[in-house]
Amino acid sequence: MTSELVIRDLHVAVNDGEKAVLKGVNMTIRQGEVHALMGPNGSGKSTLSYAIMGHPHYTITSGDILLDGESILELEPNERARRGLFLAFQYPVAVPGVSMANFLRTAVSNIRGYTDQPAPAAEGRSGVVGSNLMPMREFRKEMLDKMDEFHVDRDFAKRYLNEGFSGGEKKRVEILQMAMLQPKIAIMDETDSGLDIDALRVVSDGVNKLAGPGLGIMLITHYQRILNYVRPDFVHVFYNGRVVMSGGPELAHELEQKGYQWVKDQFGANGEQ
Amino acid sequence: MTPQTLALPTLQLDQTGVEALSAQHNEPSWFLDLRRRAWRFFEEIAWPRADDEEWRRTRLTGFNIGDFHLAPPSSAPLVDRAELPAYLQQEMEAIEAAGTLVTENGTVRHHTLSPELAAQGVIFTDLHHALHEHPELIQRYFMGNNVAVDANKFTALHAALVTGGAVLYVPRNVQIELPLYGLTGAGAGVADFAHTLIIAEENAQVSYIDEMVSADEGASFHSGVVEIFAQSGAVVRYMHGQDWNINTWHFSTQQAQMRRDAQCNWIISSWGSRLSKINLEMQLLERGGHGELLGLYFPSGKQHLDHHTMQNHFADHCTSDLLFKGALRGRSRSVYSGSIKVWPHAQKTDAYQKNENLVLDKRARADSIPGLEIEADDVRCTHGATVSKIEPEYLFYLMARGLTQYQAEQMIVTGFFQEVLNRVPVEAVRRKLERIIARKVLADW
Repeated sequence: MTSELVIRDLHVAVNDGEKAVLKGVNMTIRQGEVHALMGPNGSGKSTLSYAIMGHPHYTITSGDILLDGESILELEPNERARRGLFLAFQYPVAVPGVSMANFLRTAVSNIRGYTDQPAPAAEGRSGVVGSNLMPMREFRKEMLDKMDEFHVDRDFAKRYLNEGFSGGEKKRVEILQMAMLQPKIAIMDETDSGLDIDALRVVSDGVNKLAGPGLGIMLITHYQRILNYVRPDFVHVFYNGRVVMSGGPELAHELEQKGYQWVKDQFGANGEQ
Repeated sequence: MTPQTLALPTLQLDQTGVEALSAQHNEPSWFLDLRRRAWRFFEEIAWPRADDEEWRRTRLTGFNIGDFHLAPPSSAPLVDRAELPAYLQQEMEAIEAAGTLVTENGTVRHHTLSPELAAQGVIFTDLHHALHEHPELIQRYFMGNNVAVDANKFTALHAALVTGGAVLYVPRNVQIELPLYGLTGAGAGVADFAHTLIIAEENAQVSYIDEMVSADEGASFHSGVVEIFAQSGAVVRYMHGQDWNINTWHFSTQQAQMRRDAQCNWIISSWGSRLSKINLEMQLLERGGHGELLGLYFPSGKQHLDHHTMQNHFADHCTSDLLFKGALRGRSRSVYSGSIKVWPHAQKTDAYQKNENLVLDKRARADSIPGLEIEADDVRCTHGATVSKIEPEYLFYLMARGLTQYQAEQMIVTGFFQEVLNRVPVEAVRRKLERIIARKVLADW
């Protein structure tokens, strides 16, 4: 069965205020499809990605998010991840003292169900919740292979997560994590932002390698340039908290030529605050 | 059940107990005199009051010394490791040591020392044996020049009733690779007065792991003293791990003295106890000494852990480096107060003091009171303290990748402690500390 993420008339407000950020988003992403979501800064693109993943800062005031027909609004972020959602962060956080390998092994072990099993008594930690992890050797081999494939220096495994990583390195590590976690639907939040042309190419190659029948991608971007490397099946224009136009790849080119002012002129009437 | 023949009576914590204890161990008269003098100090020194600055944030409400007794010296002979109670064996797992001394309720139950070390003149035994076999060592070093008998009410009580205890003497130039290991167990109602005395002679090198655990969930009372002598050029690595149950009362006074170019790497971790009051002092007595003091603590429930540190610079060109990190759960409380004292002659002192706290729950509270007292003019002293909460964005990031909230918190907390864990010199100890941290994250869950 093909998985699908359905966003239905989604309204979202920021927790500590009445301010509505998303005002009726409708969208469907299926496995095997690449969607580009384009829009000017401040249009609510990142809010949409956080809301899909369940960030506690945002409140769903109405509408629904369904994965394979079931609402995920009540699920914790980790339960959403377990069902096959992935969010590549625009600004991946650096967590002090947490090594990438250690973190990723736990994440992979959860997603693939290892931690559902009790830990072997021999490990001496059978009382610790979720302590049964994917076997180290197996994990290590898979991770190192993936690191090579996605051009991440092997040293990064031992380094603390995102600490002291350059912008490009952080994004590559996001792609690496995505490759290890094998989601059904991935939301990629401005993965291209802040990257020079070489880094952009490496990251785009990574996305292209991962794209395929098993993965649906929502590529959120401000610029058209990543679309020179990743070819979307659908393009959506996001403005003032909702999708205002949808089309094929040609829409991205039209947007590139006419600029966001064109969108603002068309939709500004009901778009102004 | 182990069959027990308890010919000797349980001793009360009083003058009669002091006399009887000394008689039971057939101690030399000078040591009995020391005990008697200590008992007088104990009686003279008032119980701490809330208006004592040092006790302003730590109250002894609920503590009644009459609830505890001195376990009688067991006539049970020393046993092999495999015959020790399971809870002690479990602690010993994975720790590879050149010598081990296991004490339960004040009685030594298990003792090993590698023959090679013994041949090199290394002494590793309990206090009672040392009193008979090496009296000059005890006379010279025991609670005379380092921790004073009358330092506080609890050190006086300790000296009056000290039992078990580990004595480690490393002769000149002897460098021991594997650590030595002291493990202390105590059960409900027991008053434990374990003492650790480490003497590293010139250019000697030694590591010592000192751990304490409860036999059961009942309250016990520990009043301990640790004395470390690092003579010129000696290196002492001391790892102290307190993991009593959460009903136990823990009082500990520890002091390390460093002579010329001596080095002391000292790590203290505090996990258990209902209440802990711990005094730690590094004394840099001669030029070129280097003291490192690292602390880890993680109270949960209603635990109260109070650490006071003193970096005492008497001599010039010494460095001291202190880092204390604590996480707090539930309604627990921690107090850290520290002082760097630089005496007038201690020029070119380089002293660093930092305390960081991670408060995991709304009702937990961490107090941090750093301090400096500097009388020399050419020194570099830095101190700082922070109290923070878990960064919500860390939690969201990790959970978005599939970690449960517990796993994410465990990872963030372990990451927070990592800076100290990385500096633990023995791998098996580091792993044990990581397991304890994981367990503590789960407390009050």
